Amino acid sequence: MDTEHDELREACGLYVLGALDPAEQARLVAHLRTCDECAGTVDSLRQVAASLPFAVPQVAPSPELRGRVLSAAARVRPPRSGAYATTATSLVTPAPRRNRALAAGWLAAAAATVVAVALWSQVSSLQTRLGDSDARLTDVSRRLDDSERRLQASTSETSAVRQRLAVLTAADAFELRLVGQPPARQASARAFVSSTRGLLFAASNLPALPAGRTYQIWYLTRGAPISAGLMQPDAQGNATEAFVVPPDLATPAGMAVSLEPDGGVPAPTGAIYLATQ
Amino acid sequence: MSFIWLAVVNSTSTAEDREAVARMIDGDQNGLAALYDRHGRFVYSLALRIVRDQADAEDVTQDVFVQVWRQADRFDPARGSVVGWMLTITRARAIDVLRRRGTRPASVGDVAAFDTSDDTPGQDMQIAWAQRTREVRTALDSLPLLQRLAVELAFFDGLTHAQIAEQLDVPLGTVKTRVRHGLLRLRDRLAGSS
Repeated sequence: MDTEHDELREACGLYVLGALDPAEQARLVAHLRTCDECAGTVDSLRQVAASLPFAVPQVAPSPELRGRVLSAAARVRPPRSGAYATTATSLVTPAPRRNRALAAGWLAAAAATVVAVALWSQVSSLQTRLGDSDARLTDVSRRLDDSERRLQASTSETSAVRQRLAVLTAADAFELRLVGQPPARQASARAFVSSTRGLLFAASNLPALPAGRTYQIWYLTRGAPISAGLMQPDAQGNATEAFVVPPDLATPAGMAVSLEPDGGVPAPTGAIYLATQ
Repeated sequence: MSFIWLAVVNSTSTAEDREAVARMIDGDQNGLAALYDRHGRFVYSLALRIVRDQADAEDVTQDVFVQVWRQADRFDPARGSVVGWMLTITRARAIDVLRRRGTRPASVGDVAAFDTSDDTPGQDMQIAWAQRTREVRTALDSLPLLQRLAVELAFFDGLTHAQIAEQLDVPLGTVKTRVRHGLLRLRDRLAGSS
């Protein structure tokens, strides 16, 4: 029981994030029924997990989305509302019985009309459905194309990610922190350097680049600064890039980022935006 | 163990949100519109962080609000806030999208995993929320990198235990311990900063 507890208490974190495999999850759920300590941990970690969305950068959706959401909602039946339920019972009004024969003839004609109308509406509904299916098929094949394109993009992204992870997990990796300099006080960056696996450089809050300019990253060594690579931040001023480290690079004393002409320069010429302290 | 931040969220939005849900149960679309105006940006931002594609994030946002509209009568205030309910649905829907794609886009090493920027809060974000945002980011930043990656891969990328171990190239047991320690450390940080 105690070894069971020691083993399962470790799984509480993955459990609240929904990442446990089903068999282990079932064991943990059973354990939680009898173990107040683990149940308490799970409760408190659930709240931690619930706070994680607060770390997400806030981005406004396109203004059209509001209208889309509301009209999509209008197409589905509102909850617990009887207003949308129609009944067929009131559609047929019995004919008054003044003259049975006349009524019978009228009824036959009416019945024929009803049948004709029903047939016509069935045909037109079939046509609509056929049109719908066609549209759906086109939609599905468009999505398939989309997915294939994404698959290719993801595969190349995955290998880029693997390269970046290799830097982070390399035995010889070390981290440098860069702080914003006078042109960009609010900027910051972290660099992970491994002479065997490469450089991973993540910067945030950099000012937008003027036309024809690029940010260039430098290793500060005993001699002249050595270029580490170029970097173009996104619209939010953030960038993450992986670079190959020059094989003969001595452990750098620090790093810096300067603003340079497009294409980069052999030695820094522009203002320094980021530097290690 | 309850956190003050939950109380903060409660006091800033729950009363209005519950009223909005009550109107939705009556079939009043204005309730939905009010909920969207208050939290649409938050829902969209979480969806975008997970699916990393604007069009997909908008689809997820639409699905979330339609689901909330249809199932308004199933909301149980005893189990948490309206926002918490919506974010749970958002994460589930967004991770569904990732899994339907069959492949995962960049998981780490991209901007969001390292993001330390402090955005101006939108009109829909109360001041208390903005403050909470800073606290959660600061707490995340304080984690050792690999603890943080393990937590983020599970929460934002929907990776399973085995997938995280593969991505980080560490044994399964190490992932377990890292995630647990990461979350416990976040818990202590967040409790301390409230």
